Formats: sequence, C-alpha cells, structure tokens
Amino acid sequence: MRFSRKTLGIPYAVFLLIFVVAPLLVLFYYAFTNGQGEFTLRNLTDFFTDPNTLGTLFYSFALALTTTAVCLLLAYPTAYILTTGRLKKNTVLIMIFIMPMWINFSLRITALKEILDLIEGNLAYHPFLNSVIGMTYDFLPFMILPIYNTLAKMDASLIEAAKDLGANDRHAFLRVTLPLSLPGIISGVSMVLLPAMTNYVVLDMLYNSTYIMGSLIGSYFSAYNWNGGSMIALILLGIICIFNIINDDDRGETAKAGGALL
Amino acid sequence: MKARLLTAIIIITSVITTCSRPVYAASDAEKPVTLRICNWEEYIDQGDWGEDEVIDLESGDIFGENSMVDDFEEWYYETYGQRVNVEYSTFGTNEDLYNMLTIGDVYDLVCPSEYMIMKLMADDLVQPLSDEFFDPETETNYYIKGVSPYIRNIFETHDINGVTWDRCAAGYMWGITGFVYNPDVVSEEDASTWKLLENPAYRRQVTIKDNVRDAYFAAVGALKSDLLTSDEFRSRPDYAMALQTEMNDVSQETVDNVQHYLQQVKDNLYSFETDSGKADMITGKVVANYQWSGDAVYAMDQAEEDDYYLNFAAPKESTNIYFDGWVMLKKGISQDPAKQQAAEAFINFISRPDNAIRNMYYIGYTSVISGGDDGRVFEYLEWNYGAEDEDEATDYPVGYFFSGDPDDEDYVLTVPEEQLKRQLGAQYPSSEVIDRASIMVYFDQAKSEVINRMWIRVRCFNILTVPVWVWATIILAICAIVVFLLRQKAAKEKLYS
Repeated sequence: MRFSRKTLGIPYAVFLLIFVVAPLLVLFYYAFTNGQGEFTLRNLTDFFTDPNTLGTLFYSFALALTTTAVCLLLAYPTAYILTTGRLKKNTVLIMIFIMPMWINFSLRITALKEILDLIEGNLAYHPFLNSVIGMTYDFLPFMILPIYNTLAKMDASLIEAAKDLGANDRHAFLRVTLPLSLPGIISGVSMVLLPAMTNYVVLDMLYNSTYIMGSLIGSYFSAYNWNGGSMIALILLGIICIFNIINDDDRGETAKAGGALL
Repeated sequence: MKARLLTAIIIITSVITTCSRPVYAASDAEKPVTLRICNWEEYIDQGDWGEDEVIDLESGDIFGENSMVDDFEEWYYETYGQRVNVEYSTFGTNEDLYNMLTIGDVYDLVCPSEYMIMKLMADDLVQPLSDEFFDPETETNYYIKGVSPYIRNIFETHDINGVTWDRCAAGYMWGITGFVYNPDVVSEEDASTWKLLENPAYRRQVTIKDNVRDAYFAAVGALKSDLLTSDEFRSRPDYAMALQTEMNDVSQETVDNVQHYLQQVKDNLYSFETDSGKADMITGKVVANYQWSGDAVYAMDQAEEDDYYLNFAAPKESTNIYFDGWVMLKKGISQDPAKQQAAEAFINFISRPDNAIRNMYYIGYTSVISGGDDGRVFEYLEWNYGAEDEDEATDYPVGYFFSGDPDDEDYVLTVPEEQLKRQLGAQYPSSEVIDRASIMVYFDQAKSEVINRMWIRVRCFNILTVPVWVWATIILAICAIVVFLLRQKAAKEKLYS
C-alpha cells in the first residue's frame, strides 16, 4: 500500500477508537439499562423529576456560567492588549499567562486556598465566590489563548478601513473587531463552560463544600449506581452538544456576515 | 508499508515488555508465584527510613530499610524455598475497590474495611482461610499467635449468613472515630459529643467526613444523644448489643431524621471533606475535624512538628470502631494452593510483631496485633509513649487489648497525663471508650439504596429552594437576549435587502 498522509492519522484514529468511542458506547449502554441489564428510560426520567438532581444541574450551570463570564471579561481585554498594544515583549507576556499551566494544578489550587484564606478569614462563608475564583484561576488560560490567536491573526487593515469610512474607535471595535473575534470567544467559552460544570476536583481541593454535577456523578458511582451516573454524564454531553449546535449556527451566520462585509 | 510499520510497532512493544519484566526468575527452575495484592493508599511501610528513625527497643532495633513488600518476597524465599512475585496496587475508597472488582480486576488479597468485607462475604466472593492458618503451633503463623484477644473476640462473634468473620478475614489495622480538636478553642466537653456538629459556638469551623456511612453514624449519635448517654440505657445488662442496634438503626423514621439533621447542620459546618480535613486542621483553618483515629494520630504528629498541640476525643454517645482486614478472593486464588499459601504467608509476615510495629510507625494506624507471647508491641508502646518524668505520669491500663482482661496489671503503661487526650488515646483508646464503641454493619441492598438516596438529597442543591426573584431575573434575562437577537437579525436583514 502506498504511504499517504492519511497513514499518519492512524495512531490518532486508533487512540480515538479505544479511548473515546468505546467508552462512550459503554456509557450509552449503562445509561439506558438498569442494574439487571434491561433497557430502561428510568434513569432519564428519574433525573428530570428529582428536584435535587435538577437543583444541582441548576447550581452547576449558574457556577459555570458565572465562571465563563468572569473568564471572558478578564481574558478579552488581556488578549486585546497583548495583540494591539505597543508592548515590545509580547512573547514574554504571553509566557506569563501560560506559565501557570506548567505548574502542577493541585499545587496551584493549594496555594490559592491559602491566599483566599488569608483574605477572607474563613472560606466557608463564601462558597459560591470561592468556587468561581478557583475555577477562573484554573481555566483562564483556556480562554485567553483562543481569543489571542484570533485577534492576532486578524488583518489590521480592516480596522483602518473602518476608520477611513468614518467609524470611531468604539464603532470599529463593536462592528469589526468583536464580530471577527467571535470564533475565538466561542471556542474559549466551550473550553471553559463544560469543564466548569463538572470539575469538582478544584472545589474538592479548595475545601469541598459545593456540590456540582461532577460530584453528583461521583456519588452515584460510589453508591454502585453506574446506570444513574452514566445517565447524568450523558445528559451533560447532550447539553454541550446543544451548545455546539447553536454555536455552529452562529458561526455560519458570522461567516456570512463577515463575507458580506468584505 | 503498513505491514512493515505494524511489525515495527510489534517489535518495539515486545522489546519494551520483555525489558520491564523482572529478570531474576530466569535461573529458577520453579515458576514464581504471582500474588496480586490491593491495599489502601499509603497503608504499608515503604521503607527508606531516616537514620534517626530507628525504633531502639531493648529486645532489638526495628528499622524499615526496604519496603515491606520487598522484605516479604525475600522472607518467603528463605522460608518456603519458593519465589513469590508481589504485584502491589492500591485503592482510594472501599467503593472504588468494589467497583474495580466489578469491572473485572482480579486480585488475590485485598484489604477493605469491615463493612466491605461483609459485603464481599455476602456476595460469596471471599475464599475462606485454610485450617492451617489457625494452627498456633506452626512457627510462622504469626497472625493467629499475635492477634489481640479483643479483636479476635469481635471477629469470632460477628457473622454473615452464619459464617463468622474470622474464617474469612484477618484483621490489619483498627481504630475508632472521633474529633481532633484544638484545645485552646474547643473545650474537651464540647468535643466529646457528636453535637459538636450543630454547636453554634463553632459555626463554620468544624468539618465532617464526606461519605454517607461516617456522616450517618455521627448524625445518629447526635440525634439519640439523650438516650445513649442516659444512666438507664448505660446500665442495661445488654448495653453493648442495644448500643449496636441503636447505632445501626436504619428505620425510615431515623433515615428521615438523619436527612433533616444533616441538612440543618450543613450550614453550621465548614465543609464535607474527603482528604483535606487533616491539612485544614493542622493549618488552623478549622478548630475541630471529624476523623478516624489513625488519621487523627497523623494530624497530631504533624501539628506537633510546628509546636501546635491538638487533642482527640471520642464522643460520649458512641464511637464507631472500624477494622481493615485481609481477605482472599475466590476469583484470584482460583483454588491454587501455592497462591493461597503465599497469600496467607503475606498476612502472617506483616503480622509478625516487628513488622506490625513498622507498619504502625509508618502509617499511624493501630495494628490488630498485640503480639501474644512476643512482648515487642507493648514494649513499642512504652518506648513511644512512656513517661520520662514519673511525677506527672499516670497509669493507663491497656489490658483489654493485650490480654483480654481490662484489669491485667502486666499491661499498664505509665504515661504523661496529656497523652491520654492525644496520640495514645487515639491509637489505643481506654477501655472506657471501648465500652461504648459500636460496629457499623453493612446494610443490605434495599437499605443501602435508601441511605444513599438520603445522602444525595443532603448534598444536592434543591431546585425548589431557589427564590422567586432568581427565577424572575432569569426569565427577564432570557427575554432580553431573545429580543436583542431578534432586533439584530431584523436590522441585518434590513441592511442587506
């Protein structure tokens, strides 16, 4: 057989098959069966009829949404300054933002805990705030990078053109820069939102008083209820799929709009 | 080309696997026995002690140079003339272990806690110990010769479906539950009751364990506090049995009460912790911490290195006595006598008093081994806790553990008084504490489900508690976004049309 570039993709395809597709199938199997292996939809209906599981979904969602919003608010200006500013040592600056990722994350969270404790006195009084800070701390680089990448690739002449046509700074930003950086924002959001809903390890390490979807899945599994746990994991997957579909629609539109602009 | 690539990969992987295999077996005619052991994380001596860590007992030094597992492999070859190859792995919680076994992981020897042993026995997964294991005449049967009469009695008087624990399980470590607390802030009286959890004086400064069994026990203790501490109940002739029944009460009414109680105290607590409790206690973030005695010893030791002294108290209502024990699994042993011999030899080896001391020293928990005729465990206690200054010392009888007689004068330690509330009191509770100790049994499938559901309800955020104004804000926000998007769309269409 001829050696083609496709051959290079085989290792990854195998990896994908073994570690992504196969476990997903197992997940589906457990989600739609009961303890005896019979087909059932009870796991699904149980989830959506129990105010406690729904409440946890609500709480995790609120937490994830807040985290994502905070990340975005911090990341966008940072990325913007990094690309447009006249700062000479850009690479060094980016390093500063990326460097935390090189340090073991459990170490970082432990340090963060001590800092927060110093500021607040007693962590237990602000569970939601602490969770948001912890998550933001952990996920911020994932938001900065994609936004920085899209902004850096953007053609500066577009803004000049906008200004030539009479747009002031504000308008140029709102009508040109922001829409064109949307793909970066979207990938940043999708990299933060779902992990923030399930990453209970961060909360666990902080001091573990908040209970989110990830903790719930954990609780189901330690009660040997794999079926219920799998269903919750699947529901989260479904939620993310819905988000991505909406995103794709948006992206299509932006591309169209961008094209029309040009 | 693809085929060639594949061969290359196969060659490379086979080279790697051969390299990583142990090399010594080659010269031996006999095939080494493989023993697959699964134990708790950090629950055995790993060796590599510092020079200053020698335990210099009068009967000889005890020192952990190599890991216990390596020492066992060597000892087994010397004693039985056969090579054994231990594949040692670890688990994080009893539930993890059970899940691993369900997935299909195979082990020969595992070390779960008492309720999980009961579950495994009920599921008929456990290979009973052989009759030879119980023969005290055999020189190497260190377990049966050395196990504490107190522990032995418990193992012989509890059963699952008519099979007593001792036929299937050999104890390893044991302990009780209670509170580690900072004596500068919390009084001993306050710390000696499960009601500490609800005490408003320590609002948001006390942690509880994040697992359903421990939380349940504590809640039952607090709810039934008045009954359990009443003189009438205490003086009942069947007190021990009655106490165990009360503490294992899983009637619907009690489950509901426990749920209500835990939901109430949740706001008064610092957090539900899985592992962070010790560190939070040592760094002073919390003033009291619901803890297993072994971890309590660890926390107190660590704190002392910073000249920070913590105490331990066993609640007056009842304390939960727990064990971790070795059981052989049918699926792993699979009727192989060589394997069973190696597994039982491993239990015996780590039960040899010097090895039991090494493990105790290394992990901080209390071994079930009292030593029998071998006095080294008691000697270790004297070495570890014995008072240097006779004036401030007090007598501390531990006869219940060593000889089965609480008043045995041969087993009385002379220790500094504060040790009663510190490591010694946690590691070897007084017989008075032991009297009010209760085992928490394993609950059948139906009851476990009820309790687990209760627990999820306690931990979850109930959507019905979301106030109306939050809902109103959310609906308003969604409406605003929709209106905004529609207007944008309309504007765009207008622009391009």
